Amino acid sequence: MDDWLTFAHGLGGPADLPIPPQLAIAGAVAALVVSFTVLALAWRTPRFAPDTGGRPAPAALQRLVDHRAFHVALRGVGIAGLAWFGLAALFGPDLLTNPAFGMFYVWWWVGLVPASVLLGPVWRAISPVRTINSLFARLSGSDPERGMYEYPTRLGYWPAALGLFAFVWLELVYPYSTELGPVRLWVAVYLAAMLLGGALFGSTFFEKADPFEVYSSLCAKLSVWARRDTRLILRSPLSNLATIRPEAGLVAVVSVLFGSTAFDSFRSSLTWINYTDGGPLSISTMNLLALVAFCVGVGVILAVGSAATGVDEGTRRRDLPAMFAHSVVPIIVGYIVAHYLNYLIEVGWDTLVLASDPLGRGSNWLGTGDLGRISWFTYHQTLLASVKVLAVVTGHVLGVIAAHDRAIAVLPKRHQVTGQLPMLLAMVSFTAGGLYLLFAA
Amino acid sequence: MRRIALLASALTLAATLVGCGSEEPSTEPPTDPTTSSTPEETPEETPEETPEPSEPAVQEIKIVFEGGEAPSVERVQVGVGERFVLVVTSDEPGELHVHSDPEHTLAYGAGTTRLPLTIGRPGVVEVERHEPAALVLQLEVR
Repeated sequence: MDDWLTFAHGLGGPADLPIPPQLAIAGAVAALVVSFTVLALAWRTPRFAPDTGGRPAPAALQRLVDHRAFHVALRGVGIAGLAWFGLAALFGPDLLTNPAFGMFYVWWWVGLVPASVLLGPVWRAISPVRTINSLFARLSGSDPERGMYEYPTRLGYWPAALGLFAFVWLELVYPYSTELGPVRLWVAVYLAAMLLGGALFGSTFFEKADPFEVYSSLCAKLSVWARRDTRLILRSPLSNLATIRPEAGLVAVVSVLFGSTAFDSFRSSLTWINYTDGGPLSISTMNLLALVAFCVGVGVILAVGSAATGVDEGTRRRDLPAMFAHSVVPIIVGYIVAHYLNYLIEVGWDTLVLASDPLGRGSNWLGTGDLGRISWFTYHQTLLASVKVLAVVTGHVLGVIAAHDRAIAVLPKRHQVTGQLPMLLAMVSFTAGGLYLLFAA
Repeated sequence: MRRIALLASALTLAATLVGCGSEEPSTEPPTDPTTSSTPEETPEETPEETPEPSEPAVQEIKIVFEGGEAPSVERVQVGVGERFVLVVTSDEPGELHVHSDPEHTLAYGAGTTRLPLTIGRPGVVEVERHEPAALVLQLEVR
């Protein structure tokens, strides 16, 4: 493994093969057909009421997740993860064989999505910044939920959107993203900002401003797990999704998440590489501009698509994008599955192998150091491509249904069908664009 | 509820169709070495003085660095586990990094150098020049 070189190159060597064109076209057609089927045939009264539905989880499960030991164990997992990362990042070698990179870019950023979709708001449960914040509060004899000030409602999710952008900038634009220094600095700034915010505004800050908690909790709305008052309930992912509250900055968060993943596909396309090469601006400046353009583009398409409809007197048109932003979450998750599935399995597993030797001394502390590698999907590229298209189309369908239900809840009767059309077109453009990038990149 | 079931079945059907449609391309042989040679710009100043005229079917991929300038990036298909040759023409010696798994570092000299290579895992593999750093080639290994 000595030949894993650090050279202006991301983690994990070869990329997946592009999906075959006929598969991309089949996926886009399926998305289009299903969209209009939903519009034409689906229900006409809203179904996904946030406050009803779902059934209580088994009592034993409720007792387990409410048990103090369970909480402490999860907090322990988070702290141990941070400590292990810190060990590797501070004392390990500055090589791609250092597991800190995989823990940071693969486990944390990519792994968070499936973990949250399957298990619920994972980061909230293990977040080391929450743990440290509550330890501080306990030491100073105050309440960790409350800070010195009220968290300003106006800020909403904007700090999280900024944090998410900072992450994708480091990963996708910054040329030295696979050197230890920048990764250490990023994490240090993140920890400092979170602990400061926690001290100022209490735990509400993490809910709104911790980029990873916001990301994880949004994805968790696609899980079957929810809480009503204190009861743990099982409910359909679609009605769970409808409980995402339209707050300031929500549109920005989904725009950064979707725009950056799309940009990640786009930046390795030949067209872009040859366009940036030899231009007057450096490659990283061009990449930064393109990343911003992708995020803003997603936001504009979402804003126009959701607001281009007639509204009642009581509804402000500029509130509509946030009301519909939740319906982009399944599209994001579907596309992330498509984009990262093989990467998560292969590089995520490699990271587990490397994690056994955080200091690069040939040790095997976790006993995972001599496990083999998983490259099954790499040798089954056709199946991989099918799974990707299926994920994208499934995400699209869930998104369209979520948007439909929201449209009949908030739009006036006479605009309920025509008013949905622009949003439908916006979603079809996201899905077709995503499929095109999977095919062309 | 019935409508959801209807949608679900429509989706399953679409998915099945998608799945079936995709089986075809994998069954046909992805690359045949006879059509695969993809020469780019012909090296003007250096006429090819390659030493051996043997092995006619091996795919050759030409890379020309003119005055230190890298050519525009192209994507070339090669077969999994099939031998091919990178034919590098350059004024100065240098090094190519092939970001396959495992990676390869290939040194070339001034003039024309033939670098034989085989890649065993499917995927898109980037080939970069070291110092001055430039992406040179994308190999679509299938």
